Amino acid sequence: MKRMLVLGAFAAMLASGTALADTSGKKIAFSNNYAGNSWRQAMLDSYGIVTKKAVEDKVVAAADIFTTADKEVPTQAAQVQNLILQGYDAIVINAASPDALNGAIKQACDAGIVVVSFDGIVTEPCAYRVVVDFKDMGKQEIEQMAKFQPKGGNLLEIRGLAGTSIDDAIHAGILEGVAARPEFKIVGSVTGDWDQTTAQKAVATILPSLPDIVGVVDQGGDGYGAAQAFAAAGKPRPTIIMGNRQDELQWWKEQKDKDGYQTWSASIAPGVSSLAFWVAQQVLDGRTDIPHDLLVPYLAFTQDDFEAELPKIVKGGVASHEYTQEDAIAAIKANIK
Amino acid sequence: MPEVRADIVTLDGAEKHFGAANMDIIRLDGAEKHFGAVRALAGVDFHVRAGECVGLVGHNGAGKSTLMHMVAGTLMPDSGRIAVRGGIENNYSVPRALELGIRCVFQELSLCPNLSVAENTRINHASLSGFGWRRKAADLIAAKLDEIFPDHSISADDIAGDLSIGRRQMVEVARAFTVTQDPLELVILDEPTSSLDAHTAGQLLSFVRRFVASGKSCILISHLLGEVLGNADRIVVMRDGKIVASGAANAFDRDRLVTAMGGAEAREKAVAETASRPEAGPLRVRARPARQDDGKELVAHAGEIIGLAGLAGHGQTDLLLAIFAAASRAKAGIEVTAPVALVAGDRQSDGIFPQWSIAQNIGVRSLARLRNGLLISPQREAELAEFWRKKIGIRTPDMNNNIFSLSGGNQQKALFARALGSDAKIVLMDDPMRGVDIGTKLEVYDLVREEARNGRTFLWYTTETEELDNCDHIHVFKNGRIVANLRRDELTEEKIIQSSFGDAA
Amino acid sequence: MLRSLLPALSLVLVLLAIAWLNPRAISYFGFSLMLNLAIPIALATIAQMFVIAGNELDLSIGTFVGFVGCVTATWLKDAPLIGVLILLGSIGVYALLGALIHLRNLPSIVVTLGMSFVWQGLAILVLPKPGGKAPDWLLSLMAFKPPLVPFPIIAALLIAAVVHFGLMRTSYGVILRGSGGNAAALERAGWSLLRTKIALFALTGFFGVLSGMALIGITTSADANIGNGYTLLSIAGVILGGGEFVGGRVSPIGAVLGALTLALAASPLLTFMHIPPDWQVAANGAILIIVLAARVLISRRER
Repeated sequence: MKRMLVLGAFAAMLASGTALADTSGKKIAFSNNYAGNSWRQAMLDSYGIVTKKAVEDKVVAAADIFTTADKEVPTQAAQVQNLILQGYDAIVINAASPDALNGAIKQACDAGIVVVSFDGIVTEPCAYRVVVDFKDMGKQEIEQMAKFQPKGGNLLEIRGLAGTSIDDAIHAGILEGVAARPEFKIVGSVTGDWDQTTAQKAVATILPSLPDIVGVVDQGGDGYGAAQAFAAAGKPRPTIIMGNRQDELQWWKEQKDKDGYQTWSASIAPGVSSLAFWVAQQVLDGRTDIPHDLLVPYLAFTQDDFEAELPKIVKGGVASHEYTQEDAIAAIKANIK
Repeated sequence: MPEVRADIVTLDGAEKHFGAANMDIIRLDGAEKHFGAVRALAGVDFHVRAGECVGLVGHNGAGKSTLMHMVAGTLMPDSGRIAVRGGIENNYSVPRALELGIRCVFQELSLCPNLSVAENTRINHASLSGFGWRRKAADLIAAKLDEIFPDHSISADDIAGDLSIGRRQMVEVARAFTVTQDPLELVILDEPTSSLDAHTAGQLLSFVRRFVASGKSCILISHLLGEVLGNADRIVVMRDGKIVASGAANAFDRDRLVTAMGGAEAREKAVAETASRPEAGPLRVRARPARQDDGKELVAHAGEIIGLAGLAGHGQTDLLLAIFAAASRAKAGIEVTAPVALVAGDRQSDGIFPQWSIAQNIGVRSLARLRNGLLISPQREAELAEFWRKKIGIRTPDMNNNIFSLSGGNQQKALFARALGSDAKIVLMDDPMRGVDIGTKLEVYDLVREEARNGRTFLWYTTETEELDNCDHIHVFKNGRIVANLRRDELTEEKIIQSSFGDAA
Repeated sequence: MLRSLLPALSLVLVLLAIAWLNPRAISYFGFSLMLNLAIPIALATIAQMFVIAGNELDLSIGTFVGFVGCVTATWLKDAPLIGVLILLGSIGVYALLGALIHLRNLPSIVVTLGMSFVWQGLAILVLPKPGGKAPDWLLSLMAFKPPLVPFPIIAALLIAAVVHFGLMRTSYGVILRGSGGNAAALERAGWSLLRTKIALFALTGFFGVLSGMALIGITTSADANIGNGYTLLSIAGVILGGGEFVGGRVSPIGAVLGALTLALAASPLLTFMHIPPDWQVAANGAILIIVLAARVLISRRER
């Protein structure tokens, strides 16, 4: 009897949840599968800053963070199920697997819960996906390069972790950019795994066999390593696209102070977690016109604004950006075409 | 036990040899068995007739167990024949033995401690299966326990591991006598009363008499000679892998048995050296075994060689290890006044560092002396190793070779060199000469005597009686206690056997 | 006595804690959600229990479950016959491993550690990128909603009852357990230790297959790494359930209870406790240690 009562109350609560267009009583959970690197830490920090304020401003009732103990899929699936039981109205998720969590995600949707995935997205159609436009980022690298090297020339490409969708997308963007600007030619390609040490080693190995390089297009986390490799080989310093890492921007500032070195920097902001949060809030607010696949901009810095950002990044960290509700509304609007 | 004696008289006699029961349940002809270089059985002829209880006696390593493993089918002889009920068995095995009704209660317990008494019964009876097997197994074992040990208070549902060791032995014995589809003709009882109190032991032995009286057979192995003399119809004495005496039980008495087991011929002794040995030096070790309840204790002075004798596993090794431990940490009942080194018996598991060179293996007990600053001086290590190579005659081209490049005897020499090359004034030897060739043995004996003359003390546990000839005093152990303290001139093998086989009164 | 009740006791304790933290979890809906991922864990724990009953350890069960999952989400759906053959073949591989370990007298830890990489590699080969889809019959089976009692509870009862009967009550089950208790005695009684080892490993393979299929039935699609955490979880489940690493002392009912306890303690309890994210990983480990330590302490006192 008691069980029935509890169940009834739960169902009633869920039903009432969808009827209101005000989110001040809503609870949003964040299911995270991994917290073990600086990007993830920055992601959690950004999310914490934004949601704390949102709770204080009574935009939502609660926004709790749950991190699983391992990177395992079943653990996160169980976690999602527990969050369903906890009575959350929405779940923001950075998922361990694009497909294997679909069962749990479907259960959440069936329970009337809004699911917004980002970074590690899920393919279950009922969930929302916040995806950074990496392809555009790759294309933009070539566009920016054209500003600094108007005459064009040879480019070296540093690729990311092989087999990932992000690597594929950025690479495709770069190819598209080069196709549009025939004055550039990619003469070499190495795998840097988004890691300074790996990139430095890979670039140093390939450098002696290359003609003169005017620019390096890469994926972030590898720019500083590339710069070190060029310096060590005694080769002229090319224009190296940066990836918002603290060491990269620091090096850029040193070069700029020395001789006015110019480049451009872009990467996915860990703060995209906060954007996912606002998307969830918007859905809970009753908006029905939001597409399930949202393409959002990457975070870029130019010659003019990178120095202001530099002091805000912790050593070894990455530049982030806490998105506001307005940012989210703007991003949604951009996706409704 | 007068009734039991009367039993023997009626059964032992002419009618046994000519009656219908006059048929060999099992007969082994010329059974031989080698384990590596060791000859465990040297062409033994052995048989058991229907309706008789054969007593089998002999000291450790005499070959009793090997012989019984052959009867039970767990070991095959290298040469010789096995015949059951007159039929030659060419592919004799455990299942075949069971099929023919021959079973064995082994000395080490054969119950699965994680299973219940009924489940343990099931293991021995393939036919206990199908619907309701649990009830059948429980009834079977309960009935047999009731028959043998009337007031046993063991439930068929008890988990074997939770029972006391005595009760486990009761279950195991009772299980061997349960019958389902296989016949039951002969049961081997290897020390069946070792964990039983006098009352249950009596119950078991009178059951054995009833069992034999019903025309079945039994082999009884016991170190309690009175038990064998009182219950066997015929007694077989083994020594050094051979049967040295055999005959009707009433033809033996205690002294005859002991003489047969130990061998009557007097041993030659290295008496000449006794005189040259210094009189007792300062006290080195005074130790009382943990289970000693009388005043006996082991006392060793500088320059003495003390032998530890008795059946294997009766507390000798425990005492050596206790003394070794007492050297570094004070222990009640044990007084040690000088540094101690131990030469392990099982060199593979206790003594050798397999990845190390011979020199390193020798030097490890003397690291403090080999040190040069914080590091070990390779030069000093090599000097130490070279000294002992010459002195003890380790046969190797290079002391930096891996220790396993040596033969077994030379490995053991290296372990001696480790102990003797150290600062230890007391050397404990845990049956170190096991499996070592005679040449090496003699070299080591000389070395030990020489080192003793130089003031070292040796405590020497050995299972080989001849080695005791090198000792000044011999302590005989039984059940973790010292039961006899013999001077060398009093030492005879009979005395040791007498002490170690003495019936626990 | 307390020792045999301990697995049930710890489960009740965890349930009480969950009821106190989040009363609405104690409902038909709640149990369905909280416990359905415990079913594959329980099956993997049972699988592990069979090898532990024979004094061995299977360090490959996690990746094996992942491999089975990948086969289930691909072959079993697209070409059921081939899928069934692959799964039967993998049980055969387990049986061969048992034979190999017995005949060559190899340490099972080493062999199964090696096999864990083999299964992982095969899983990636079958399903290079996460995806695939569980067969429909499996999906509807795992989503089955019986009246009154939630499906995971019925499944757990069924698993425990079947395995308890098979291992603890049948006459051959005695032989299997006896091989872990005293192998020499078993051999002397004329039983083949090779056969018992093969049987135990084949049973491990069989329940590993069931675990992988159940897991995919719940998650709907697979990932080569999906089962990796099950190796340690299954060992912990057996021990928590009153089993011991050596001596053939295992309990199927205890193992299922242990698996449920672990599944609840590791995830729902932690989620409901609202532990700050920085501490969640550590708290998970701490709960495991506390639960297992309690079992060791209590069973030691009973001795």
